[in-house]
Amino acid sequence: MEKSYLSLAIFFLLGIALPMVALFFGRLLRPHRPLPEKAITYESGVDPTGDSWVQFHVRYYLFALLFVIFDVEAVFLYPWAVSYDLLRTEMGLFILVEMTIFVLFLLIGLIYAWKKKVLEWR
Amino acid sequence: MNINGEFIAFFIFSVLAIGGAVFMINLTRVMHMALALAFTFFSIAGLYVLLDAPFLAVIQILIYTGAVSILMIFGIMLTKHKDEDKVAPFTVHKLLSLLGVGGFLAIVIWIIYRNPFFSTGEPQAAAFKVTDLGKAMFKTYMIPFEVTSILLLVALIGAIVLAKREEKK
Repeated sequence: MEKSYLSLAIFFLLGIALPMVALFFGRLLRPHRPLPEKAITYESGVDPTGDSWVQFHVRYYLFALLFVIFDVEAVFLYPWAVSYDLLRTEMGLFILVEMTIFVLFLLIGLIYAWKKKVLEWR
Repeated sequence: MNINGEFIAFFIFSVLAIGGAVFMINLTRVMHMALALAFTFFSIAGLYVLLDAPFLAVIQILIYTGAVSILMIFGIMLTKHKDEDKVAPFTVHKLLSLLGVGGFLAIVIWIIYRNPFFSTGEPQAAAFKVTDLGKAMFKTYMIPFEVTSILLLVALIGAIVLAKREEKK
């Protein structure tokens, strides 16, 4: 248990250290000649116009919400998958039916979203 | 107090969690605030790992660090606001908030002092297994589990109805 967390910690620290070290050495090695043109915000090679803050369309919010709902659903699937074998012997196939009902309810939501043209991009 | 790896990790995670929360309140740009909050959520996941609850830690990262932070960033992107870099002056309102929060902190510390978490005896809970959780969720609390699904459905449909009405305007 302890050892597995240690390897996780090393992995985590390496993940943080790698970009930091790379960017630090890049700063030492690269030439530094700032120009006003270089300081402009990059926007697909075109000079940006207006503020960097624009109000996004509310449709994006629906995609975020769909993501959250199905994220929560996925969380429920993890313990179900882990304990499936154990519960299969205790409850029989009902454990499969149970999760099917759960997923079906959310499928109704997905179909509703589909019918309401939430998934379409106009 | 013995200093071992667990203590050091706890120290780092708690400093990061509290630091993230303090930065979240003190930063002036909304996007930076959301980042600081995500940092706090992530550190709390680390604390859960230290408390020997890896499943809860994974859920913390999935739901809070992932989904809730994304939702907040979307909320920021969807609203119009001016970034204010000036610091608000210290007012009577802030002083009252300070008094309220200080009083709450004192009460919490007093309660913890009166009822210590660590009783003298062996810890009651056995080692956590995900299969136990699955058993409780899918066998003992079967109906609440299915109701959760309906709750999620209601949240989904409600969000669509509200957002569609907003879009028509």
